[in-house]
Amino acid sequence: MASASRSASVAYGFLGVALFIGGWQLIGAYQLAGLTWPPFTTVISYLIEPSRWGLFSRALEATLWAMGFGYAVGGACGFTIAVAASMFDRLRPMLDTTSAVVHAIPAIAIAPLFIILLGTSTAPSALSALNVFFIMYVSTSAGLAAATPAHRDVFRVLGASKTQQLYRLQLPNALPSIITGLRLAAPASVIGAIIGEWFGAPRGLGLLIVSAMQNFQIPLLWSTIVLATAISAIAYGLFGLIERLIHARFQ
Amino acid sequence: MQRAGTSIRLNHVSKSFSIGRKTVAAVDAVDLTIEAGEFVSFIGPSGCGKSTILRMVAALEAPTAGQVTIGDLPPSEMAQHHRLGVAFQDHALLPWLTVRKNVELPFRIASRPVNDQQIDQLLNLVGLSEFDRARPKQLSGGMRQRASIARALILQPDVLLLDEPFGALDQVTRRHLNIELQNIWARNAITTILITHSVDEALFLSDRVVVLSGRPGRVVKVLPVPFGRPRSPSVMRDPLFHQLADDLTESLEGYVGSEEP
Amino acid sequence: MLTGLRTAKLLLVQISGIVGLIVLWQFWVAARGLNTIVLPGPMSVVLQLLNEPAVYFWNGLHTLALALAGLALGTLLGTTVAVVAWSSRLFEGILTPLGLIFSSVPIVALIPVIARILGYDVRTELAIVILISFFPLFVFTLKGLKALPPGASDLFQTLGATKRQHLAWLALPASLPSWLTGFRIAAPHAVLAAIVAEFLMGTSGLGHVLEGARSDLQMQRALAASLSATVISVTFFLLSAVLEQRLLRNR
Repeated sequence: MASASRSASVAYGFLGVALFIGGWQLIGAYQLAGLTWPPFTTVISYLIEPSRWGLFSRALEATLWAMGFGYAVGGACGFTIAVAASMFDRLRPMLDTTSAVVHAIPAIAIAPLFIILLGTSTAPSALSALNVFFIMYVSTSAGLAAATPAHRDVFRVLGASKTQQLYRLQLPNALPSIITGLRLAAPASVIGAIIGEWFGAPRGLGLLIVSAMQNFQIPLLWSTIVLATAISAIAYGLFGLIERLIHARFQ
Repeated sequence: MQRAGTSIRLNHVSKSFSIGRKTVAAVDAVDLTIEAGEFVSFIGPSGCGKSTILRMVAALEAPTAGQVTIGDLPPSEMAQHHRLGVAFQDHALLPWLTVRKNVELPFRIASRPVNDQQIDQLLNLVGLSEFDRARPKQLSGGMRQRASIARALILQPDVLLLDEPFGALDQVTRRHLNIELQNIWARNAITTILITHSVDEALFLSDRVVVLSGRPGRVVKVLPVPFGRPRSPSVMRDPLFHQLADDLTESLEGYVGSEEP
Repeated sequence: MLTGLRTAKLLLVQISGIVGLIVLWQFWVAARGLNTIVLPGPMSVVLQLLNEPAVYFWNGLHTLALALAGLALGTLLGTTVAVVAWSSRLFEGILTPLGLIFSSVPIVALIPVIARILGYDVRTELAIVILISFFPLFVFTLKGLKALPPGASDLFQTLGATKRQHLAWLALPASLPSWLTGFRIAAPHAVLAAIVAEFLMGTSGLGHVLEGARSDLQMQRALAASLSATVISVTFFLLSAVLEQRLLRNR
């Protein structure tokens, strides 16, 4: 019963994706949306043409570095500050509000500040880090707070110190939530990097997107966006897999 | 039989909670001494504050008035010295650890070397030797409670606190675990407080049964249980057992109506 | 009286982090001895804002209207499509994986493609904000419609409720918390999307001011626009948080 409904939803899923790609192809092939909508096959063949690999790989490298920096620095800061907020209750309202308000500032509005403070080549990394930071802060905080009252009671009665409670109970308990945060951060980190690049980075997918848009290079525009989407989806899928393994053990 | 542990003194203990603007009295002026190595059960209608009494002895709540002392020390100090053992209705095992690692946890928290031999013995005693590598999720409800009780006992605490540990189990399993607990406890009598709904469970396990009134909880009756130890399950078929059970049930029923909505 | 004082104190603690960041910024500028053209401090940004209030007010209003209209329509659309998906196994099967795919996609990066397809136009900007508000609402509403209290669905079936009664009395009320989560995520995204759309193609709005200031290297102007954008975005965020608190008060 369960496996039948599961295979049904897989089938529906494939149907949905097939309709999506088929629709894209048809609209492109019959130019239903004009010349700015290339067929799926055109975009893919443009993307896999070896003569363009140099161009794409340079841009991809820059964006991946920004994204990686965003994950490393933003993730580490979000995690550390969430742990601090959980250890020191008094800091918590301040840290919660500050990070929520900073997150509410549109990335594109912070971009100029980062450009001046850090320069055009570091701004994409910094914006990516800022986006990852908030997601990690929220998911880590939620995970740390999710330990059940019964678990906390047992630790208190056993005479556990706050630090022991943190690393023997709260941190392992927060692990699934932290991994979920890393998964959800994937598109956010790409968006941060690309917006940073739009503000004048020397290379990167964002730069390629803007110049292709302005110069009417339609296949280039679509291909670059497919690339940006792919790296986000791959990171998303990868953390999704880890998430499954972790959930099986930790819940 | 060896008497171990420490006495517990409840000296005119009251506890009230404030809910919004209202103050609700949960426990009112409870005065009781539990001797070293004595097993005492608290029964009473739901919401009568019996768990609150246990939580005050466990240093999880502070009394609003009066004092709780264990030996000569306040409960919080006993907890800091890792001398309390506790098991709740919610087994509260860590889902990411094996049964053995869960039972090891108190050693780690007390920063003491893990005594593997002792863990083996205790796992054997609670019948989980073959499941020491299993995770809590893979165990039945009864087995989880056994693991939880093993965790409570592993440091050989001065005081054992049991808050309806078998409350979520079916009758058959519950009776089975009652018999096992009585066997384990008889080996090394630790001062024990048991909170329960079950009159039979209280009678079978305890030296004394304390009946509490409906909210706020007051002591209305303290019944010494006359059966010797160790007790075999046949005690439960004794006519005296039935008579005492009826008496207790009757003294409880007087308060059922007083329960607040 | 006392509670008022306490609330004020809590508020003070909460904003202390933000104030701290602004002070840090001012100190940074003063310590580095940077002139206001390279890096304006917060004071000079506020002065710039007061110097040309009309520019920021009218462009801010444009952005605000765009974000509000897009958010409202996107919310309506996302909720409706989620209800449609809920009522049909086929639609649900097809739309759920697409919703999942799009939640792994950096949608803001798609803006240039949409801009090219629909043309540089205010209607395109609106379409972008609608699209970006749509996905969180769709995903979270559908999730909420399916997260029923245990046993409730069986009860409704036993009572012989129609599909419509099922929706009105059970699924819709049950989905409220999840719907609000979707809305809370969508609200700041709508502002970001509006500004990015204006930035990339607009003829008015704060995004356009940002773009102009960027190409003329007028940092004071850029940061004044950022500040206006931040005010709008943080207001959106606070309003959605208040809405959530109000609606969930009795749960």
